[in-house]
Amino acid sequence: MLKDITIGQYLVGNSFLHKLDPRTKIIGVLLYMIALFTVNNFIGMGAMIVVSAFFVLLSQIPLNYFLKGLKPIVLIVMLTVVLQIFMTPGEVLWQWGFLKITDMGLRQAGFMGTRLVLLVSITSILTLTTTPIALTDGIESLLKPFQKIGVPAHELAMMMTIALRFIPTLIEETEKIMQAQAARGADFESGNLMERGKAMIPLLVPLFLSAFKRADELAIAMEARCYHGGENRTRLKPLQYTAKDRVALLALLLMLALAWATRMV
Amino acid sequence: MSLTVNDVWYTYQEGTPNESNALQGINLTINKGEFLGIVGHTGSGKSTLIQHLNGLLKPSKGQVLVDGLELHSKENKKSLREIRMKVGIVFQYPEYQLFEETVEKDIAFGPKNLGLEEKEIKQRVKKAMKLMNLDYQALKDVSPFDLSGGQKRKVAIAGVLAMEPEYLILDEPAAGLDPKGREEFLELINHLHKEGLTVIMVSHSMDDIARYAQRMVVLHQGKLVLEGKPQEVFTHVEELESMGLSVPTLTKLLHALKAKGLPVNTELIEIQQIKAEILRALQERKGEAHA
Repeated sequence: MLKDITIGQYLVGNSFLHKLDPRTKIIGVLLYMIALFTVNNFIGMGAMIVVSAFFVLLSQIPLNYFLKGLKPIVLIVMLTVVLQIFMTPGEVLWQWGFLKITDMGLRQAGFMGTRLVLLVSITSILTLTTTPIALTDGIESLLKPFQKIGVPAHELAMMMTIALRFIPTLIEETEKIMQAQAARGADFESGNLMERGKAMIPLLVPLFLSAFKRADELAIAMEARCYHGGENRTRLKPLQYTAKDRVALLALLLMLALAWATRMV
Repeated sequence: MSLTVNDVWYTYQEGTPNESNALQGINLTINKGEFLGIVGHTGSGKSTLIQHLNGLLKPSKGQVLVDGLELHSKENKKSLREIRMKVGIVFQYPEYQLFEETVEKDIAFGPKNLGLEEKEIKQRVKKAMKLMNLDYQALKDVSPFDLSGGQKRKVAIAGVLAMEPEYLILDEPAAGLDPKGREEFLELINHLHKEGLTVIMVSHSMDDIARYAQRMVVLHQGKLVLEGKPQEVFTHVEELESMGLSVPTLTKLLHALKAKGLPVNTELIEIQQIKAEILRALQERKGEAHA
């Protein structure tokens, strides 16, 4: 069911990662990604796996819950791995017709597959330990310096907040409408692609209608409360950098430096 | 012939930290031809329960039988759809499920899914619209989105009735309607019941339940706590109030009168009977005063 999707979900907790400032976490994820694509040998990759495992431990998220969240990407990872194995040029190890496996192919496939899994893991950790509101606050704050060159930081953040806020609502709405139509005998599960596409109409029309209606109502509600963009807005909970964040940031920079160092091995 | 719920348990988000037991061992039999009311506080499991009655949800434990056939049983998997057709369900705010260009097409959606012939479908649409007090000639080519809220809801219910279910489940059918629309609507549903349809109505309005239901059940935290005729169930005033529920306005009145010393029978439920009872009690007291 739709409710099983865990990507982008927040899990209430009280771990070290939960308590970090969202800006630290966003920068941390960026640094981690750079490090992930910096390493180019097995030692480096091994180290990155260890680092990721450490993050999972630190977040105190139940392991099976975390792994369940990775399930949806299995297909993408498999596809990437298969493509990499067969499409990379190099010394041929095995050949059958036009299919050939090269040493570089195996290496690339292993690296890309691991990178993809780690990438999704780290971003899940970010969203699992950070509330959507904190996340967008962090992004807004990080984009502030770019406001001078015309980046609408507040508006972007507000759009993201609203979009994130309505994902669960829309999922719930979708399930409700699906049930109502299923009760009238609609069949969403069988038939070929064309039939399935057609079967979506009874779902999509009401869903769009209600989404537009909601958007309208939200706009009116915001205006009724005198919303007028980012200027002069203050916050109930301003973001605050603490000693924890400095320590975390330093550790992350150290990680990046070490990742760079593994290239020299 | 009945709808039977046998020790049904249901858990949302099983295996995650957010898991919650929405139903905990529900046993319930709904007989053909009756008008059953289901009441309960928000989150008591009412909606989860009715979704089990036509197989939209699969119980985590236990079974649901429709006229003796088990939903989701391993032997007759294919018949789920057919069993489902026997049990029509009208969700809260059913007008949100409308999607076709015309009223006629929308009501025909269900029967079409049943694989009926064109002629039969038309017949059923006409019949369902008549049952819902909708003028076929005037409305058949109108877009459902141009109708008023109350009419949209009637069209949506006609869409379910057109499948000619034997059991009709309604989740808060009168929510969000104005008093006049409410009255008309509930009378329509009552009429359907008199025509022989088995009606299961979920409602927050104790007055409506008292007025229409022949039998009622009370759900609390996923368990079935009270069951019986409305006049019996509504004698448990304190119990109901401790669950965040109330009793019908007239029952409240009778209890208040009794507390003030007027000897009235608090188990009555029909307005005419209550009127007669209060008049009787007043007359009696007058007689005592004179004597």
